[in-house]
Parts: sequence; C-alpha cells; structure tokens
Amino acid sequence: MNKLLSLFALIIICTACDNRPIATVTAIGQDGLRETVSPNDKIKVINFWATWCAPCVEELPHFESVGSSYLEEVDMILISLDEKKNIQSAVDPFLKENNIKSKVLLLDDPYAAEWIPIVDQHWDGAIPVTLIVSKDKKQFFNKALSKADLENAIKEFL
Amino acid sequence: MKTLKILTVAVVGAIAIAVVSGMLETHERTNLFAERPVPNENKKQSPAKEKTAVLVGYHIGDAATDFSLKNIDGEKVSLKNYDDAKGFMVIFTCNHCPYSVAYEDRIIALDKKYKNLGYPVIAINPNNPDEYPSDSYDAMKVRAKQKGFTFPYLVDTDQNIFPQYGATKTPHVFLLKKEGDQNIVKYIGAIDDNYHDENAVKNNYLENALQSLIRGEEIAVTTSPAIGCRIK
Repeated sequence: MNKLLSLFALIIICTACDNRPIATVTAIGQDGLRETVSPNDKIKVINFWATWCAPCVEELPHFESVGSSYLEEVDMILISLDEKKNIQSAVDPFLKENNIKSKVLLLDDPYAAEWIPIVDQHWDGAIPVTLIVSKDKKQFFNKALSKADLENAIKEFL
Repeated sequence: MKTLKILTVAVVGAIAIAVVSGMLETHERTNLFAERPVPNENKKQSPAKEKTAVLVGYHIGDAATDFSLKNIDGEKVSLKNYDDAKGFMVIFTCNHCPYSVAYEDRIIALDKKYKNLGYPVIAINPNNPDEYPSDSYDAMKVRAKQKGFTFPYLVDTDQNIFPQYGATKTPHVFLLKKEGDQNIVKYIGAIDDNYHDENAVKNNYLENALQSLIRGEEIAVTTSPAIGCRIK
C-alpha cells in the first residue's frame, strides 16, 4: 500500500516539474544556422537574442515558459548573438540566473550581411526577432513578442 | 478492516486517475484564464498599425528631411548649415549597443577622411533614454569625450527624425548627396560587413559608396543588410 502511494507521488512530482537541465551554449556558424532554420517535422520556434539586448531579455521568459508547455510539439531554439568570447563571462551566467532550459545556440559569425537573408528576407537586422518554421509554413516576426503573441503564433502552427 | 483497505485503495486509485487525467489535459486548460481583456487589445491595435505604416522610411533616390537637433555641446545642428558639404554620412548610433561601440573607431576614421572631401559624419542617437539609460544626453557627452568624436553627436529628442528616415537599429547609415537644395539618399545600410574585425572586412559598403560619389560614378551596392540593436 505504501509502495503504491509513493509510486503515485513520484509520478505526480516528476510530471509536474521541468526536469531539463540548465541549457549549455553551442556555437554555430552559417552552415549550422542554415540547418537550424530549415523546416523539420517538428515545429521550430527560433528566437534571436543577446544578453546585452534589453527587449530580448524582457521577452525571453515568455519563450521559456511557453516552450516548456509545448515540449512535445515545439522545438524552442534561442540563438544568441553574443560574442563567443563572452560565453563564460556573460551567456552561461545569464542562462543559470534565468533558469533557461531551452536549446541555446550562439551564432559565431561576424558577416551579418551574409546570414541575415538566410534567416529571412524581411529581417532588418535588429534584434529581437523570431522565426517559426514547420514542414509547410514559415512566419517571421520582426519585433519583440508578448506571451500572448507567442502563444497565438504557435497555435497557428499546431 | 478489510473493507477499509479496499476503500482506501479505491479512493487512492480514484484520486490518482483524476490527477493523471487532469495533467493530460494541460494544453486545453491554458486558456481557462484570460490574460488580457479583449476589448482593450483591439483599441490599442488600431493606432499601432497606423504607426507602422508611417515607419516605411526612405528609399534610394528620395530626398531626406533636414532637422534641427541638439548636439552634445548644446547647439542645434542642421544639414543646411553646412555650406561647403557635398553630402553627409547620417549615422544613427548610440552608446548602449555593442555593434555601435564596435564601429566607433571606424566612424571617427571615416569622418576624418571624408569630412575634407565634403562628406562629414552626422551621428544621431535615436533612443529614448528611459528605455536605455546609458543613451542619455549626459552619457552621450561622456562617451563622445572618451572616444574623441570628431563629428556632431545629436539627440533625436522627440524621436521624430529616425522614423522619417526609416532607421530601425543602431548603427544604421544613410549616405546623402546634396543636389540643389535637397539631400538625396544614395546608400542605406551597414558601414561594412564585419562588425567584429575591421581587418577582416570583405565589403566596405559605405566607403565604396563614398568613393563612387566622389568619382561621380554609379554606386554599385546601394543597400546592405545591417545587424544592430533595435531603436526604442
């Protein structure tokens, strides 16, 4: 009897919490970016941000919380534009402090004019921006998103 | 005793089923609580749409507006005051943005080199200091002094000028050429294509455009995608 109870308790605890570890940063180049933004069976939500970008930091919690409630349906990918040399000093501490568990990449390529069009032709080069891609659909947001904006945008893809 | 045991198992089982099925339904439940009153959102949306329509900005060949903006020395600066200039490098830039900071030395070098050839730099900080405290007027004075800016560093106090140009980020360059009493937009975009390392630049967009203007030739690349920090 006690065993049964504790089993239930365990199941309940494990399902309720987000067991994923704090994200670690993987640096990518233009090839990695091309691969990241290309369509997949699973919906991808790709947000471009940086630790020094105030409007980005403001919207990041929305991506984190919405991402954790659509774990099955959505790959949440946060691409940092911080400099590679700042991973240890700025990016890692930021991820830890803000409890970021989504996938975090860092685009290590200074030739922005080459990779901006890879992401979207309509990107004016300012961050934050967000791209949502699925097998047959693509939407680009050239602005910061509220939590409601993000959820509504994802629902269009589900 | 036995009945109690069966009863307990049944109750625990029922609770477990209720909890598990409740958890399985989480997605449908996210909408149970309204996040914002709907009528308010509709009201807010209509003026915002009109605003984005105004934010289109200049294309190549358009006549750029003149302005009268406060410089870090307290004086107002207007393009019309530059009698000898053949044109201008109007650069929207600021203190807080790492891309802007990365380009500071290059902007100073461009000003020193091309001011004498008739194309001075006019730097404009378009940001609201309430959004970015390090872009305040006082902080601008400090930064200009630290770096030894050789050009005016103006404040778009009412945030009226940057939307007319269509600047969306810092740094964002608009190269203008005087034609009669107008300033015609000749190039829009980045300073060059490598913010990180000026020795590894492949395309010197702004300088190439300046060289073409000075030689009286057609500018080969009139726009470029520029990375930057969104103006707020």
